Order: sequence, then C-alpha cells, then structure tokens
Amino acid sequence: MTLEAKIAIVIGLAVVAAIAGAVWRNRTGSSKSVRDGGIVNLKELAALKNGNLVTKFGRKTTFIQFSSEYCTQCRQTARLLGELEKNDDGILHVEIDITNRLELAKKFNVLQTPTTLVLDSKGRIKSRIGGAPKVNVIQDELNEIQKASFEI
Amino acid sequence: MSIQEKAGIDPRGPRFGAAITSVLLLITVFLGLDRNTQDAGFILLAFIDALFLIGAVLGNSRHPYGVIFKKFVRPRLAAPKELEDPRPPQFAQTVGFFVASLGLATQAFGFEYGVALFGGLAFIAAFLNAVFAFCLGCQIWLGLRRIGVIRG
Repeated sequence: MTLEAKIAIVIGLAVVAAIAGAVWRNRTGSSKSVRDGGIVNLKELAALKNGNLVTKFGRKTTFIQFSSEYCTQCRQTARLLGELEKNDDGILHVEIDITNRLELAKKFNVLQTPTTLVLDSKGRIKSRIGGAPKVNVIQDELNEIQKASFEI
Repeated sequence: MSIQEKAGIDPRGPRFGAAITSVLLLITVFLGLDRNTQDAGFILLAFIDALFLIGAVLGNSRHPYGVIFKKFVRPRLAAPKELEDPRPPQFAQTVGFFVASLGLATQAFGFEYGVALFGGLAFIAAFLNAVFAFCLGCQIWLGLRRIGVIRG
C-alpha cells in the first residue's frame, strides 16, 4: 500500500469518528414525541422513591428515568431532573435502575441509558428522551405541559 | 447499592487516558495497513491490549494513564465539577480489551488486516470518549445485556 493511501485511510478514520461524534452529540438528549402513548402502569413499574413505592403521578408531569449500572450520564440526568422536581412540586422524577429489570427495558424498548419518559398529568407518555437530556429540551417539554394544562 | 452512593473519580482521568489510547490506536492502524510494518502494528496493539486488561481488571485509577493523570495532570487542573462512577469507564476498558484481542487473534490466524480493522474500531470508541465524552457503557451495555451477551 502506498504511503498516500495509508495516510488517507488514517485521516479518513479520524474524520469519520469526528463526524460520528458530532452527529451523536447533536442527537443525544433530544426529545421525540410519542404518538398515542399508553398510560404507564405504576404497579408494574414498581418504582421506589425514597424507599416508598410510587403510586401517584406528578401533578403536572412525571419524568421516568431508566438508568443502569455502567452509565455515567445517568447520574448527571438524575441530578438535573431532581433539581427540577425540587423547584416545582407538580413535577415528579422517578429513577429506575433496569440493570435487573430487563422486562421493563423490553417493554419500553430501552436500548441506552439514561432513557427518560415524559408523562403528562394523567400518566400518559408524551415523549421520550434518549441520552442525557439537554436543558433546553427539558424546558420545552415543561412549557408544553404547562400549555396543555391551561387548555384543559 | 444505588448509583449515587458509589465513590466517584475525576471524569477527566479516563478521558485523558482515552486521548493517549486513541493516538496510539491511530498509529496502530497506520502500521497495520502495510505488510512491512504489520509486525510493529501487532506489537503496538498487544501493548495497548495489555493496558486495556489492566484497566478492565484493576480500574482506571490504577491504570498507568490514570496514575500519570493523578500525579502530573490533575494537580494543574481545577477541582472537577462533579465526580463520576468508576464502573462505566472500567466497562469501556473491558470492551476495549475484547476488541483489541479480536484484532490480535484474527491477525494471528491469517486475516491480513485484523490489527488495522479492530484497531480502527477501538480508535473510534476511544476518540469519541476523549473528544465527546461518549460513554460506551451507556450506549451498549443494556443492549448487550438484552441480547444475553452479558449476564447480571
């Protein structure tokens, strides 16, 4: 193989990696709206919050965050959503470690962690966020839910 | 133990290591592309593979790059904004070990570009980690778990 070809391959590899990274960073943490999302069954979820079983949705919205063991961004996400919950008593943040609950991963089609489901006040899935949510994405979600609650 | 309770490491440590690894892997690819330099590429990948094994077994903080980071780099930096769970980067080291070993094995069994191909794949992951803080554990751990490659 010529030197030029080898250099081209090596540079090409670096460029491919850089483009892949830019695409990933752009996409991760964006929200996808879910059409005709079902209502989450809290019993089946059996999520714990401060040691208690979660039996009610948040008054305005609920963030269900699926986390796993080997996940750096889960921590950051939990901190971000926990902060929102602290500042608004209509918001509920539920974190579920699905390390040993693969049936939930299957049911909600979770492939990466964190994956966050955004529910409305009735517990219906409005959208889902793969990866650590971007702050503006969360803000948009909250605005939308605020708007919807005025319309009702 | 919940995800939040684990002691943390400086997240810049593993990324510092990944930056060195990605440069070495790019050199590996370059060497692996040419018959005349393939042996050198093989030796370099074997060296990187051994380091991955250290990281996978002992964790990033006892990995040579982690030690260099702690001794020489971290004292020059401001305190980290947040600490990170040490397990995700350790998982990434394990994945790196498997991928690099595949490169060595396929090359040893006669696939001419084994070192270049698998070195290239490992490069992409290491580069994404170093430059974009991409977390391999977040992206693939759950998927591997779901298809049964990893057991809990």
